[in-house]
Amino acid sequence: MERPFAITLGVGSSLANHTGSWRVEHPEYVHRMPPCNAACPAGENIQNWLYIAEDGSYEPAWQELIKENPFPAIMGRVCYHPCENVCNRGELDEAVGINSIERFLGDYAIEHGWRIPGPTSESGFKVLVVGAGPAGLSAAYHLRRSGHAVVIKDATHAPGGMMRYGIPKYRLPREILDAEIDRIAGMGVQFQLNTRVEDVHDEMDSFDAVFLAIGAQLSKRAYIPAGESAKILDAISVLSDVENGTPPSLGRRVVIYGGGNTAMDVARTAKRLGADEAIIVYRRTRDKAPANDVEVTEALEEGILIKWLSTVSNMDGEKLTVEKMELDERGFPQPTGEFEDLEADSLILALGQEVDFSLLGNSADLDVTNGTIAVDRAMMTSHPGIFAGGDMVFADRTVTTSIGHGKKAARNIDAWLRGSDFKSSEEKVPVTIDELNTWYYTDAPHVISEKLEAARRVQDFSEIVKGLDESTALYEARRCMSCGNCFECDNCFGVCPDNAIKRLGPGLGYEIDLDYCKGCGICVSECPASALQMFPDA
Amino acid sequence: MLKQVEGSRAVAEVVAACRPEVICAYPISPQTHIVEGLSQLVKNGDLLGCEFINVESEFSAMSVAIGASATGARTYTATASQGLLYMVEAVYNASGLGLPIVMTIANRAIGGPINIWNDHSDSMSQRDSGWIQLYAESNQEAVDLHVQAFRIAEEMSLPVMVCMDGFILTHAFEEIDIPTQDEVGAYLPTFRPRQVLDPGDPVSIGAMVGPEAFMEVKYMAHARMIESADHIARAAIDFKEAFGRDSGGLVRSYKIERAQTVVIALGSILGTLKDLIDQMQDEGISIGVVGITSFRPFPVNELRDALKNCKRVIVLEKAFQTGIGGIVTEDVDRSLRGLGVERSTLIAGLGGRPISTQSLRSYLVKAIDSGVEELTFLDLEIDTVESELARERNSR
Repeated sequence: MERPFAITLGVGSSLANHTGSWRVEHPEYVHRMPPCNAACPAGENIQNWLYIAEDGSYEPAWQELIKENPFPAIMGRVCYHPCENVCNRGELDEAVGINSIERFLGDYAIEHGWRIPGPTSESGFKVLVVGAGPAGLSAAYHLRRSGHAVVIKDATHAPGGMMRYGIPKYRLPREILDAEIDRIAGMGVQFQLNTRVEDVHDEMDSFDAVFLAIGAQLSKRAYIPAGESAKILDAISVLSDVENGTPPSLGRRVVIYGGGNTAMDVARTAKRLGADEAIIVYRRTRDKAPANDVEVTEALEEGILIKWLSTVSNMDGEKLTVEKMELDERGFPQPTGEFEDLEADSLILALGQEVDFSLLGNSADLDVTNGTIAVDRAMMTSHPGIFAGGDMVFADRTVTTSIGHGKKAARNIDAWLRGSDFKSSEEKVPVTIDELNTWYYTDAPHVISEKLEAARRVQDFSEIVKGLDESTALYEARRCMSCGNCFECDNCFGVCPDNAIKRLGPGLGYEIDLDYCKGCGICVSECPASALQMFPDA
Repeated sequence: MLKQVEGSRAVAEVVAACRPEVICAYPISPQTHIVEGLSQLVKNGDLLGCEFINVESEFSAMSVAIGASATGARTYTATASQGLLYMVEAVYNASGLGLPIVMTIANRAIGGPINIWNDHSDSMSQRDSGWIQLYAESNQEAVDLHVQAFRIAEEMSLPVMVCMDGFILTHAFEEIDIPTQDEVGAYLPTFRPRQVLDPGDPVSIGAMVGPEAFMEVKYMAHARMIESADHIARAAIDFKEAFGRDSGGLVRSYKIERAQTVVIALGSILGTLKDLIDQMQDEGISIGVVGITSFRPFPVNELRDALKNCKRVIVLEKAFQTGIGGIVTEDVDRSLRGLGVERSTLIAGLGGRPISTQSLRSYLVKAIDSGVEELTFLDLEIDTVESELARERNSR
């Protein structure tokens, strides 16, 4: 058709105008550090596995997760989820329930029997891991993935370390623990149980490298004047005996001394063993206690009494004397001279644990300071080829931190064996809430995981916190704001005045056509997730 | 088909007989009965293949009409007065894009002060909008002009306003011969749009035109409008052949042969004038009438030809421009240039003021006998306005 002069144009004409020639800067899709990833002691790429899970791709999401951490089902129960504390969504409504989604993925994997294949090629190197706790298992897993032959030696009769002998069943059912450890065994990691390594130096001939991760097993003692009839136990032994099926007789009234997670666990265990009264005595205040707030809250819900600002002075028979304390100006507890008597059938000390360094032998080539073994940035001790991690080194003593140590050590051992340097990714500054365009996200409050009622909990060792079902887990995953990373919301595609943004298809993101991008930056300012940034043109 | 019917209803029926595909209008007095009638016809299924689109304003009505017409649909709307003013921006776009929309204007005064009665202020305000403007003398002519309007619009790819006096025509019941659909079909060819919006062959209609071509586009609009005069004249000739009636065209003379004085007017007042001229001629007064049917394009040559032998011209207008005077007057003056014909202007009927034959007669007699001022307002209460103006001056 002939077109009227000037007022009607063919559609092809505007493409002749290469608006890209006006540009002095251009947008690029970036991968920034989400705060959850930055806070994860195991270095999980949380934002990414949440994103993959959002459309129900559970297996790919789980695969992405276990690249960093082989224990999602365990994590979903025992991790104190520092990721959720820093989640930007918390500034909007409530943090994404990352931990419960992780648990859902972990449980889903167990339910469907997903396995992890062994390496496709063997490196020829052989590595010994001493200790089958979270650090050792994590290291063994990552080393095996890299193709190394791995032997784990552990002095106990079952693997898991403190996950088995320190964390009670009601928080971590043993079939879950066994299932995730079993998967590592299935990759070809050899477990030598009931095998105590007496001196690590003796092992060096048989292995190319060693990772030490025996944890901190020795209970700290405090001097408490006590009559002969007083029954005083230590928390680690109590928890371990319960695990081994030989629970100690604690009596009707149990006092626990200490304010950490172990104190809470042992007090709650005492209740489940039949104690009418479980009283925790701790010398400082609740906000100074090292125990995680969730554990304190759950203990209180279960009827555990806590005497804050108190110390145990002595125990004679069933009479326990407690002295009240007060905090001085610097926040340290000081005695007041005021005493109180408690009736107690037993006293359990939960004052922290120390490392048993006997396996280092007499050699002075391993540097031990302040009760921990010194390691460099590569997690290697002062002895070449001997690496260490977990509770043995100076760090937070949590399962997740130990798992992170195991991974970091494994990657450095791999590099060391192959004669290269392992370069960890650059430290990136986490994305803050101010950098997000939060109004683009739909309001969606957090789903709460169901819990057993407190009264039912203390009757036995059943798991307290229930998992999310598929629909609630999906909903929760979709609450993720994908801080600093594209989630294909099409905002940029929609706002670009030059149609310069091309969709590459689901999961493939976008491409910017620089012939037409004039560098206006609208896509950058309207990106909900701060996943686009402007860069000067060369 | 002869019917005793209200003017508005007759227009609705003849528009329906023209088979529009889209009707989009917003009601306003005195146009309302026309679009009510059409909406009823569409609802009753008497107008198949037509979409009646309800909108919230005249601006939207014209915007929808523009969109519909751009897709190649025969499109109709109607309005009046303030409604026309509200749609003005889109009115200019319709003509600028060459979209052959037909719109009825039920002529009404413009506020403020608000006034719902008839004069020509509304359509005269759109003198320069690029639309063809045709004025109907009677309801019969209003009906006939709509049939011609679709043909002219579609031949020229220009929009056409058919102007009919509000209330005087729109609300008058009389015997009207309404062409049937078959009769219209024989006269009005199938609409072949100059261009259509087609997703299969996309174009940008209404693109920005810069200084390099804007003047050419405007010149072409002018040239097209000038050329449309021939098509308007042809449409009337063909109409007469098909229907046997004199309707439309550019100008229509009545008893001007050898008339020394000629009155020029537009719209329904021509009927009153013709009666009066009949009486005055019987009395031996040399007077005739010329009706302007096509105000845009303005028939300069036809008017000059009709008036070249007279001595005196009186332009009767139902609208005027404050600060100068008659609107049609300017165009008449241009048509008379060099002929030595005397011209005076009579503004009458503003805001529905009745124009009585008695008042008209005394003005015309005075003009012939002793002369009148260049500009006169018929039946103006001169004492009232002068005292009020004096009071204003004193308080200023």
